[in-house]
Amino acid sequence: MMSADVSDRAVTAAASHEHESPFAGPDEAFEAAKQGMWIFLVTEVLMFGGLFVAYGIFRGLHADMFQEAHRYLAVSLGGTNTVVLILSSLTMALGVGATQRGQRDRALLFFGLTLLLASCFLLVKYFEYSHKFHEGLLPGGYFRNEHLKHPKAPLFFSLYFVMTGLHLVHVLVGMGLIAWLLKRTVARQFGPHYYTPVELVGFYWHFVDMVWIYLFPLLYLVG
Amino acid sequence: MDTKETEPAARHHHILPTFTTVLVGLSLLVLTGVTILLGGVELGRLNFAVAVLIASVKALLVALFFMNLLYDRRENSVIFGASFLFLAIFFVLTATDLFFRGDVAVKGPISAPVPAGGKRVAKPWLATEALVGRGRELFSQQCVTCHGPEGKGNGPAAASLTPRPRDFTATVGWKNGRKPSQILKTLNEGIPGSAMAAYTTLPPDDRWALAHFVVSLGPAAEKDSPEDLLKVGVDVAKGEAVIREAPSIPIELAMRRLTRPELKARTKARTPSPTQTPEGARVYQARCERCHGPEGEGAIVGALGGVPRMLLRTGPLSISKAIENESAFSEVVVRGLTGELMPGAADLSERELRGLYRHVQELSGRP
Ligand code: HEC
Ligand code: HEC
Repeated sequence: MMSADVSDRAVTAAASHEHESPFAGPDEAFEAAKQGMWIFLVTEVLMFGGLFVAYGIFRGLHADMFQEAHRYLAVSLGGTNTVVLILSSLTMALGVGATQRGQRDRALLFFGLTLLLASCFLLVKYFEYSHKFHEGLLPGGYFRNEHLKHPKAPLFFSLYFVMTGLHLVHVLVGMGLIAWLLKRTVARQFGPHYYTPVELVGFYWHFVDMVWIYLFPLLYLVG
Repeated sequence: MDTKETEPAARHHHILPTFTTVLVGLSLLVLTGVTILLGGVELGRLNFAVAVLIASVKALLVALFFMNLLYDRRENSVIFGASFLFLAIFFVLTATDLFFRGDVAVKGPISAPVPAGGKRVAKPWLATEALVGRGRELFSQQCVTCHGPEGKGNGPAAASLTPRPRDFTATVGWKNGRKPSQILKTLNEGIPGSAMAAYTTLPPDDRWALAHFVVSLGPAAEKDSPEDLLKVGVDVAKGEAVIREAPSIPIELAMRRLTRPELKARTKARTPSPTQTPEGARVYQARCERCHGPEGEGAIVGALGGVPRMLLRTGPLSISKAIENESAFSEVVVRGLTGELMPGAADLSERELRGLYRHVQELSGRP
């Protein structure tokens, strides 16, 4: 690999003070951190999972309502956001790879792109949400839409807002983390020797993508 | 610095080739396109399965390649995979409970188990003079509007109903049947899709009384076998009244009632004004207060089981359309609300009804 600018100063704070570290070496520290991240992601799966189960149950009980209500979501916007998030996952993966290979400039470029794509996602979501607000397609007792007559329809929008809302919170957190990666990459704190935070933020971002991969077809397409 | 510094962690860690990364990204985009295209095709129930399948393939690609799970230590796959396994268990158990429970109903203590002021009947499934007499009394209050005074299915409200109320003197056309236990089932559950509501607001003994009376209106009916009785929760072998106490309301209704936005509206507590019709107030207190509250503000009608406990309540009477004119009001009060747990009060006299109407108007702050 043509490592353009391997940052030699990329030495982990945690792993360099070996007498203080409970780990046998940087590898073990890296593996432990990664496993911790996987366990964290398990809790995330279960948190979103509860909502997906609720979705499944209500869809089973009111299939006709889901059929009717899901037409009020814009497939074009949801689809755009799916593409945007997948591209951002791709740039994230490329950014992580670049860091691992010590290509700092490329890493900066890809993290920047990821952040840009995430902002696109937010923008589209903003338009979607404001449209729903305007149309009175709101959760539960706030539902005010006149065309969607199905008495259970507010339930669909409760699910829609809670599920996409929780996802949105994750996008925001992810953006903060990526910004933090950018800052530390600029400060040359990552390189082939140490990239634990880069890899783990990558995991988080891919997970956010994964949730959307399910949300999009379930809410927008099959209702 | 020791040797570990010179051995990059990357040596032990698989770095995904850029080519593979881009390839996976492209596959994800293609699969997204496929999902969207298939979303437009009508495949019935398959749509859902296909959508979930494609999403899972995509998620798997992300996990295996972008998240490096394919090259990671096996135990991490086990950890992450386990979360999906438990999610599946969560879903399957909830779904089997909810979708295959048979009667999807919420149980709750909606009626008092014992008739007001009365004693429990020892074996209410056996017809006695007293029970049939009680049934006659209840029938004239609750059922004649539809089933007619002789149970011929020709009450004043019958003409407007489809399907028509059952003629109890006929032996054909019964959906549940005309053995006492079968009539009890009708009274426990109502006949879905018809005006015949469940009468779970009546105590079980009263429901048995009605069942025996209905049987007495027609030609002699078959007796209940022990199996028949078991179906309605009576275990004759035990020799005692093992009656299912928990009346149920359909989950549909419970959801509607629990999510009705108007329930947020609250009428202010009002001090009774001196112009109240004493008779209306008296009837109201005796017959309506327990479900509509002392001020017509709405009250808890029953509790649904489960944690947290959910309470079922009526809305304020003041926002009901039915109190806007007297005839609509009388209609609702006399007939009750089918399937809504509101019993009819067909025994009220014209005067009592008028008094009641005025009283409810007062409570709702109308002139
Ligand atoms: C609002 C009108 C109405 C009232 C009040 C009413 N019924 Fe019915 N009932 C019906 C209708 C309509 C049917 C026919 C249902 C069908 O065929 O699907 C019916 C059917 C029945 C049946 C026959 C069920 C079967 O298996 O075929 C029984 C028994 C019965 N009612 C008992 C009663 C009793 C007892 C009361 C009083 C507590 C009562 N009903 C009050 C409308 C009413
Ligand atoms: C066993 C409980 C119960 C009793 C007793 C009862 N009601 Fe109701 N009533 C209800 C329920 C449940 C509703 C459904 C509407 C709601 O949720 O507010 C209702 C609704 C009504 C409505 C509104 C109907 C509509 O279509 O909006 C009126 C009017 C009413 N009741 C009057 C009375 C009067 C008058 C009495 C006394 C004779 C009475 N009720 C007794 C439970 C009861």
